[in-house]
Amino acid sequence: MHNLNTVISFEVVRTLKKKTFWVTALSFPVVITVVFAIIFFSNQATEQATLDTQNQKFSLAITDESNAITPQLITQLGAKTLTDKQQGIQQVKDGSLDAYFYYPSELDKQKVEVYAKDVGLFDNSRYQGTADALLNQSIATTVDTETVAILKNKVDFSSVTFKDGIEYDGFKQLIAPGLFLVLFYILVTMFGSQMLTSTTEEKENRVIEMLLTTIKARTLIIGKILSLIILALIQIVIILIPILVIYLQFGDVLALPNIDLANLPLDPVRITVGAIIFALSFLLFTGLLVAIGSAVPTAREASGFFGLIMMLIFGPLYAFTLFISAPHSSIVTFLSYFPLTAPIPLMLRNAVGNLTIPEALIGIAVLGVSAAIVLAIAIRMFRYGALEYSKILSLKSIFATKKNTPRR
Amino acid sequence: MPTSPSLVTINHFRMEFDTHTVIDDLSFDIKRGETFGLLGANGSGKTTIIRALLGIYQPTSGDLSIDGKAYAVDGGVRLGYLPEERGLYKKETVMTVMIYFGRLKGMTRSAAEKWSLDYLRRVGLSEKAKTRLDKLSGGQQQKVQLGVTIMNNPELLILDEPTKGFDPINRRLLMNIIEEHKKAGATIIFVTHQMEEVERLCDRIILLKDGRPSAYGTIADVKKDHEGASLDDIFVKIYGDHTESEQE
Repeated sequence: MHNLNTVISFEVVRTLKKKTFWVTALSFPVVITVVFAIIFFSNQATEQATLDTQNQKFSLAITDESNAITPQLITQLGAKTLTDKQQGIQQVKDGSLDAYFYYPSELDKQKVEVYAKDVGLFDNSRYQGTADALLNQSIATTVDTETVAILKNKVDFSSVTFKDGIEYDGFKQLIAPGLFLVLFYILVTMFGSQMLTSTTEEKENRVIEMLLTTIKARTLIIGKILSLIILALIQIVIILIPILVIYLQFGDVLALPNIDLANLPLDPVRITVGAIIFALSFLLFTGLLVAIGSAVPTAREASGFFGLIMMLIFGPLYAFTLFISAPHSSIVTFLSYFPLTAPIPLMLRNAVGNLTIPEALIGIAVLGVSAAIVLAIAIRMFRYGALEYSKILSLKSIFATKKNTPRR
Repeated sequence: MPTSPSLVTINHFRMEFDTHTVIDDLSFDIKRGETFGLLGANGSGKTTIIRALLGIYQPTSGDLSIDGKAYAVDGGVRLGYLPEERGLYKKETVMTVMIYFGRLKGMTRSAAEKWSLDYLRRVGLSEKAKTRLDKLSGGQQQKVQLGVTIMNNPELLILDEPTKGFDPINRRLLMNIIEEHKKAGATIIFVTHQMEEVERLCDRIILLKDGRPSAYGTIADVKKDHEGASLDDIFVKIYGDHTESEQE
């Protein structure tokens, strides 16, 4: 019992004496507060954006071959009626109409067709919602409730949206640029810990002096980062190949959704922007984790910072609805341009198509400059923290006026 | 072609840690091809001099140069350095580590592999080539570390207490290997407390106390200055009955 108490008091006291314990312990409440604030503001802004969308009016034309739609409701909506379906579709394509609804003669056998101008991935749903509401309200006034219930389950809708006169499917458009976000998430969660401890190994093994007199610190750090990127790419292939094989070989048996890969829309601008943001984000966080690994004496102490970094990177995911519904709000702008939170908002907004080219360029510049700075700090920390086997380096000591002042 | 007889030159070197002066206005040189003993008690600044010479520490003031310029890994001098704080990648095999360092020192993979196998055979570790380093004894790890140090035929060999942790048999083996490099023309800086090793190998020595030289010159000259006393006796005479042990 005496020994147990001795061990417990020894372990507790020595941990409490470490700065890292207090830094990480005190940082978590701060980060959690920030995350909850993001969620709160995100929800508020999303609700407001939803209300704004619902109240937004749009120009509408309707062709009703079913004769189920009440003319008064069409008038109340401010919509016009057309007899020619192709004319309605063409007016949406050329932008003279926001939306066109086609109600076929046999509602139980044919789909109600909705054609509309693209207004964003989630806002597009307002068109089909209006078409559905119009039908429901019309039949409610003309038929009994039992028929209403039957019709409600029988009527199908198809929606086609147009952007610049060309058919545009927001969900399909999201897939290719959205892959970068998924890859980033997978790689950082899988490799983060390895990045963090990649430079503590040399310290813990006391091999650093031999290395620094054989190879430049810059070469070593860049080599480590590139090797992590190569390992990450291998990991991507390892993840993707079985998924692809299962999908192609057993997709039908497993009833997986049928995605027409050959016709997957590939927007070169969004894919390029996504790839650049992904690469710079990965470089930034690799550099950051390597810098932390260089500043602390052991892998154990480095791991204390891991949770904090993960929360910074992925905290913005809590506000994902906000990135879609209110992409130009102050909080989204801040999260998109603050280096440590920028990757998720930038990649997500690029995927859903609300990141403008100037915004993308600013984001890329922020990430690029930040990655370069962090990388320079990581090299400096490794170089000058090389012989620091027992304590954590401070930025102050790294950038002291007498730049190479030895530390003992 | 070398233009100066000195490979290593140290001029007015001063090193402070915070407010503590470890080395104070130290100047000496090491000639090409000689074996130079850097001697002193624990905390006398021997390792600090080596680290400053190799650019790991930046001197507070003064110049330290190898072949006329500050040391850089790509400066053209083939260096072999066995540091006082030593270790290797413990989770890797002996051969993996030796080939890695051989490659870093400019050897081809096949040359590094061949050299490593020859070396391991010589030091009795050929059967351990594929063994992880953490499965070796401390002495065996020391031999591997020495092998990594002398790969690629260094022209400047810096050995910081190389016999630390060696038994007498392995110490003799190590001394033979160092002698071979000496005969091959390498310049050797030898940091040690073992005076019999110094007498066997060194051409000249410097004995440090409080960051200043207490003795400097050939072994014969130093002994002559101290009335023919042995190096052990000279060491004890300079330091008194006890030495500081908390600086370095």
